[in-house]
Amino acid sequence: MAKKLPIVPSAKAGSMAEAPSGIIWREQHPVIGDKCNQCLECIMFCPEGALKLENGKVAVSLELCNGCGTCAFECPQKAITMVLEFSGDRGIFPLKEGKS
Amino acid sequence: MRKGGELVKMTLKDLPQQDLFGPGNAGCRGCGAAIAGRQAMKVLGARTIITMPASCMATLSGLNQKTAWSIPFYHTLFEIAPAVSSGIRASLEAQGIKDVNVVSWAGDAGTADIGFQSLSGAAERNDNIIHVCYDNEMYMNTGGQSGSQTPIYAMTSNQQKGKRTGKKDMLKIMVAHDVGYVASATISHPLDLAEKFKKAAAHDGFSYIHIMAPCYRGWNIPTDQSVATARKAVESGFWELYEVVDGKKTRTHEPSFIPVSEYLMSQGRFKNLSTEQVKEIQDAVNSHFGRKEAK
Ligand SMILES: Cc1ncc(C[n+]2csc(CCOP(=O)(O)OP(=O)(O)O)c2C)c(N)n1
Repeated sequence: MAKKLPIVPSAKAGSMAEAPSGIIWREQHPVIGDKCNQCLECIMFCPEGALKLENGKVAVSLELCNGCGTCAFECPQKAITMVLEFSGDRGIFPLKEGKS
Repeated sequence: MRKGGELVKMTLKDLPQQDLFGPGNAGCRGCGAAIAGRQAMKVLGARTIITMPASCMATLSGLNQKTAWSIPFYHTLFEIAPAVSSGIRASLEAQGIKDVNVVSWAGDAGTADIGFQSLSGAAERNDNIIHVCYDNEMYMNTGGQSGSQTPIYAMTSNQQKGKRTGKKDMLKIMVAHDVGYVASATISHPLDLAEKFKKAAAHDGFSYIHIMAPCYRGWNIPTDQSVATARKAVESGFWELYEVVDGKKTRTHEPSFIPVSEYLMSQGRFKNLSTEQVKEIQDAVNSHFGRKEAK
């Protein structure tokens, strides 16, 4: 006899990407420079899946990045620079160039 | 990887761009477990069901009504992830569904300590599942206590003078279960890891993959050093990359044998090590690889 099982709520696939938590406490983010030769290593090493190949170029999603710096450290071309920013619950304020 | 009967080396470009796990996960910066999950899912693919006991990985990949997985993900009780996977496999078989990978994915405690009996049972029954241990060598989700996978002398939150006993060799234990596929892997060698997941998925029977996954908080390293630390572990010979297929062991990466101290001393958890203790670990590595002395 088949039991009537209760229907339990289940989460929508991939829904955490809609409200990523890491950016709340991010302190720096990567900027990808011209030296990038699309070797894709940084993409494999990103814990957040924040890096993607878009139109033949590696692009970073600042929605997802939490600023660990692994991509910049691992890049064989040294094409990625981490740029400091202020972050907090009021959002992200990139430092203006030339000021600190 | 084989293409038209010829053996070609897989490259990063062969792996799919799509992430079935990852985006938005609540892991700490540079989380080694999350990196391992992303790399593995590139190979396992969308036809995968994953079970996971209490651990960092379960917490960071599912909160409230949200999940970072795009495949069915089931959060189990601590002791039973492999048993739940066995059950899922049995039900798929009863329905005649054959093209699904069933994976249980646990931390080092969920694998080697608290989850060990169900893992051992599933291995002994040779159930057609893949068990993955992502090993951060501590109980990170509850604050970094020591477990059986913590290496000797590492400082943890409950052993501040360092652990007094060595790491239990889970790979040897799983080989002793006489299962068809057992492999070690780590996040700094994604293609090696990918090949191993391919083989495990193709293997009809129980497979075990043990991934070293550094944790910046527990290991006391900078947030950008998880991958680099894993690489040092491999290149020093501290973490050997190999696979055991039907009882036959093959090393999949020859280390360059950098001094083990480069691996140990870059981590805060080993900062209290004496020169003798470092030498003791180096000697153990040398004798494991049958080497006379380190360069
Ligand atoms: C039966 C049971 N005992 C204890 C706990 C508490 N607990 C939750 S996660 C955890 C540690 C998990 O450690 P590990 O498997 O190594 O994964 P990590 O968090 O390190 O990634 C513990 C002890 C629990 N949830 N259930």
